[in-house]
Amino acid sequence: MSYLLETLTKKMEIDTIIRDTIDKVLVLRFGRSSDSLSLQLDDILAKSARELSKFGTVALVDIDSEDVQVYVNYFDITLIPSTLFFFNAHHIKMDSGTADHTKWVGAFHRKQDFIDVVEAIFRGAMKGKLIVNCPLPPERIPKYQLLYKDV
Amino acid sequence: MTMEADSRAKKPNPKPKRIPGPNSTNPKKKSEFEYCKVCNRNHNEGQRHKYFSSHTKSLSNFLSRFQNKITDIRFFLKKPSVLRPEHASRNRFWCVFCDVDVDELGSSFVCNNAINHLAGVDHFKKLKHFMWKYGSAMDRVDAFRISEAVVAKWEKNCKSLKSEATSVGEGSQELHLGHPNDIHNELNFENMNNFEKNTIHHLNSNISNGVMPLQYHTNECQISGSGFPGVANSGTNLYVVTSSLPADMCSTMSSWNSNYAMVNQNSPWNRTNCSGNVYLSGGMYQVYQDERVQSREINSQGLQNIAQVSSMVPKEAGGNVHSGAPLPWHGSIAQKEGGGNVHSGAPPPWLEATEGDRLELIPVLNSFVSSNKSGKSKLNPKRVGAAWAEKRKIEMEMEKRGEIVKRDCDPNWLPNFGRVWQSGSRKESRKEFEIEKQKQPNIQCQSEMSVTVQPYISKRMVSRIQTLSPEVLIFPG
Repeated sequence: MSYLLETLTKKMEIDTIIRDTIDKVLVLRFGRSSDSLSLQLDDILAKSARELSKFGTVALVDIDSEDVQVYVNYFDITLIPSTLFFFNAHHIKMDSGTADHTKWVGAFHRKQDFIDVVEAIFRGAMKGKLIVNCPLPPERIPKYQLLYKDV
Repeated sequence: MTMEADSRAKKPNPKPKRIPGPNSTNPKKKSEFEYCKVCNRNHNEGQRHKYFSSHTKSLSNFLSRFQNKITDIRFFLKKPSVLRPEHASRNRFWCVFCDVDVDELGSSFVCNNAINHLAGVDHFKKLKHFMWKYGSAMDRVDAFRISEAVVAKWEKNCKSLKSEATSVGEGSQELHLGHPNDIHNELNFENMNNFEKNTIHHLNSNISNGVMPLQYHTNECQISGSGFPGVANSGTNLYVVTSSLPADMCSTMSSWNSNYAMVNQNSPWNRTNCSGNVYLSGGMYQVYQDERVQSREINSQGLQNIAQVSSMVPKEAGGNVHSGAPLPWHGSIAQKEGGGNVHSGAPPPWLEATEGDRLELIPVLNSFVSSNKSGKSKLNPKRVGAAWAEKRKIEMEMEKRGEIVKRDCDPNWLPNFGRVWQSGSRKESRKEFEIEKQKQPNIQCQSEMSVTVQPYISKRMVSRIQTLSPEVLIFPG
């Protein structure tokens, strides 16, 4: 599925795509193409990429490449797949009731869920908000536990 | 059990609602709902309402708007002019204090009835009542009425005006001030009235004739192509004379005449409408004689219209450079209600806004598309990263044009990101990260070193070394 979406393996590529996506939401999925959950997520991303094309772009990042490890550390990516949202080179947080507001962890249950999330991000960003609320009901949000440095 | 249940039910409410009891010192007295004309809403605040700041603001707005209308009337108070019966229906005046509509039917002078109303005793009474009710300062009362002395002066002026008018021109109502219309205009009105009675079937097939008969009736002085000085406002009428047409014109030409006469009789008439008229008559146009410069461009437009339209008539008329009407030219022109536009098919008002941008005649769709695009350019300036976006757009354009060589991004650039476990601004977290990044390779080097020095490393040592760097646990799903 990832042949439908750009896969980025270098920091430079990630940088350029973050900087060059203007006035559109940039969806960056950090994951592995061998992981089943990542593939599920990729499937949904690929199917909805076209519908979002007017206000969003989707790209995949392979966390196994070394160049990208800086970002893996910077964004504190510990669980995969993790999805980050950017707008005009600014990172947008989303409060979905989970511990980590900076990213979306896990896959989406439906294509429509993903589209709703991107829309919420877009609307908030256009209004100037750096954090938005998640439009999905809690049962459709994948739950996980974050570990903090051995805790 | 029941006791427990009761105690559970009567849990102490952390935020008790304040219920006004009979002995409470609740200042809010309930009063009947009434309507505030100024704020345009109902309220039950009673007498206190007029002191609220929102009300005072609305009141000042309200009064200033009405004041503007009154200044217009005062203008005519100083310069009385004769009111034409055709215009009378336009000059209506709503007095907000008396809630009454003052119209000008049957008055011989502009704003006659309005001035009389504003000078009246009734109006004064109602005005005072309004000021009291809505809490305005009483010294402003005089701004909204006309004193009797002034009215008397005005009446004198009117009388003198009338007497002058009757003495100077018999049969022609010449005006000294305001509307220097000519006798020709007068004749035109007569023609117009007659034409109006005729049925107008101008939309029919004559338009699709391939050959455009030359109806160009010239007075050479007119074709000087001077610029159109904009909208003819306040008092200047477009002066229309229907050209004398050759005798072999079909009967629809008379209806065309009527269109123009009718259309142009209404003043003020703006450029788009005129040019629309000219264009949409299917290239049949008429020469406008005007003593003023206003319609000269129409003439030159008309000339060009013929040249272009005749070539375009067999196919769908696409563009006409000089008329402003963006409507496509069909065999049957869509009728619109409205003063004068119904039969001429001039561009509808909602397209007139785009007319100024392009002088080309393009199909409606194009204009719609272009107006959409202009809407998009007004993205919310408060959106996230707006400044960055603008800067980047400019940079990208310049890169495209080749002015700036694509410079490689700083390899240490990081987007602003607030980390997961941190408090403080994003910049701070980024700094933290960079510090950590610098520390990391040192630590890693050390650990490697230690590994090489000590061939045997106990498990405890290994785990301790590993914990020095931030944990990265990767769980499958």
